[in-house]
Amino acid sequence: MISVRNLNHSFKIGKKGKEREVPVLKGLTFDVADGEIVSIVGKSGSGKSTLLHIMAGFLTPDSGEIRVKGTKTSSFSEAENAKFRLNHFGFVFQNFQLMPGLTAFENVELPLKLKGIGKSERRKKVKELMQSIGLTEVQDHYPNELSGGQQQRVSIARALITDPPVIFADEPTGSLDSETEQDVLLLIQSLNKARGITFVIITHDDEVAHTADRVYRMHDGELTEGGRPHAI
Amino acid sequence: MQFKDQIDFVRQHITKNKMRVFMTVLAATMGTAFLIVLASVGFGLHETIRDSILSNRKVTELEVYSSEMNQEKVDELKKRDHVKAVVYRQFVNAEQQVKLGDLTSTSRMTVTDFVEEGKANFSLAEGRLPKTAEEVIVGSHFGQYLMSEEELEGESEVKGYDGDLIGKHISYQLQDFEGNPIGKELQLTIVGVGKKPAKDWDQDQNIYGDALIIPAIEQIYFAEVEQDKDEQSLFYGNVSVHADHLENVKALSKELKDDGYSVYSIADELEQLDVFFLALKAGLIFVGTIAILIASIGIFNTMTMAVTERTREIGVMKAIGADPKLIQRLFLMESAWIGVIGTVLAIVISYGVSVVSNYILPIIVSAALGEEDLGGMDVTFSIIPWQLVVIASTISIGVAMISGWRPARKATKIDVIQALRQEL
Repeated sequence: MISVRNLNHSFKIGKKGKEREVPVLKGLTFDVADGEIVSIVGKSGSGKSTLLHIMAGFLTPDSGEIRVKGTKTSSFSEAENAKFRLNHFGFVFQNFQLMPGLTAFENVELPLKLKGIGKSERRKKVKELMQSIGLTEVQDHYPNELSGGQQQRVSIARALITDPPVIFADEPTGSLDSETEQDVLLLIQSLNKARGITFVIITHDDEVAHTADRVYRMHDGELTEGGRPHAI
Repeated sequence: MQFKDQIDFVRQHITKNKMRVFMTVLAATMGTAFLIVLASVGFGLHETIRDSILSNRKVTELEVYSSEMNQEKVDELKKRDHVKAVVYRQFVNAEQQVKLGDLTSTSRMTVTDFVEEGKANFSLAEGRLPKTAEEVIVGSHFGQYLMSEEELEGESEVKGYDGDLIGKHISYQLQDFEGNPIGKELQLTIVGVGKKPAKDWDQDQNIYGDALIIPAIEQIYFAEVEQDKDEQSLFYGNVSVHADHLENVKALSKELKDDGYSVYSIADELEQLDVFFLALKAGLIFVGTIAILIASIGIFNTMTMAVTERTREIGVMKAIGADPKLIQRLFLMESAWIGVIGTVLAIVISYGVSVVSNYILPIIVSAALGEEDLGGMDVTFSIIPWQLVVIASTISIGVAMISGWRPARKATKIDVIQALRQEL
């Protein structure tokens, strides 16, 4: 599904004219198989979020190659990346990133609007999905009227609505209590099983990482370990 | 994203910041209304002066001279394109005397075709146009020049005749150059009185008869005077051609000159007036545009703030797959909306101001000048033609979109990662 080859990236930091380059990703090579849940675990500053940003097309790598279903995405333009994201990727963020002025229903509906899908088809699809995730009761609530767990469920629904083959989750349980965390992880696992969606989860939490099918551990921009959760 | 969803998206954002958008729309409205009202004064004054000149029926008139002018040539002139009327006025080449009871005057007969005179805006102060050879109309000053014998000899003050003239019978007598009568008198009836000439110093004491009267006058004259082929005929005349529209005067004038006629018109002078007012209107529109440019600063600020406030939202939209061009279009639509609403309101307000000022300003100016009717001039202070509406709308909406361009570009350049890191 996703193949990452010899990926390098560095950031320039410091005052203009006195910048220095700090390498954040150092020759990463790994694969994510179709329909698996992969966790990338590491401490703060290990480069795991940068890796997700590059895989999602938010950043262009200095060198290396990323292919998604055989398509080389690492050299896409901004517009090409946007179009590819809309059709192939879903996103779940740590702080949910819901639109505050839109209801839960409208937030989930947004990617379909961007795809240019008609109103009646949109409404039908969103209703069905929200019902299956148990959000029907809160569909007319605004994000600030929802609990953290509900907000993350809405965020997952928004990621799912376009039926993407891959969902990137950046610290999906980072803002949740342990009970809600378990709910969200179970939801991810059930969606993975039921719909065959590939999940790439970025986390610093080993417990979250171990719910995945495969775990990659990152340290100082390098993958130090990779394999089945119980083996790491 | 479907267009109606884009509209819906813009509408949602506008309603979220009602007060700020209202103030920006207000500024755009004021700027545009200022432009329209200011320029409308130029259009109004231009129209007033044009109307004033045109009502004097001189501008579309071409004085045409040919050494061999006759009815045949006049009929040929009538058939030409863009000719509204051809007035062939003929005058009697002899002394004449008119009597109304005991009063006499030396008023002269002008023979014309009243159908053509009517087409050329000839109008009466009272009465109607002649229908038979015995009916005539008289100039507005005809009565003033009717004098008694005492008045003629200077024995008493000249009072003239100030009674009603319509229906009165007058006798018309041809005379030789020594004042001796030629033939019998013609009995004529006054059926109308001409309008006062536009210029104060013009005095019209003539009598106007229809061309039907020519044979009668010729019969009386040539019964006593032998017709000499070498001498001038009894009637001599001049021809004025009236174009259907001012724009056609120039072409018609050229056509007649090319055909050997001598032509004079004052349309060329009016052209200079048009050039002057064109420059004035362009100047007023320029000044008005400055007001719109000032309002555009407000639009720029509003849109810049909108982009800054929505940085995180723009980041989320880009993250989930919104095309940068779509983001740009949504913000441009928002600034265009401000421009469109501002322009529509400005047009409505401007028409209101125009109507009110055309009603109130003449009263104020008359009061200030101490005159009742602005010297008889029908002054229009403000006119808003559709062309002005189109120009103002184009400038206003164009400036609004240009103001929104930079903030919209800024929105497309928002970095997704930075935007997602923003605090809620």
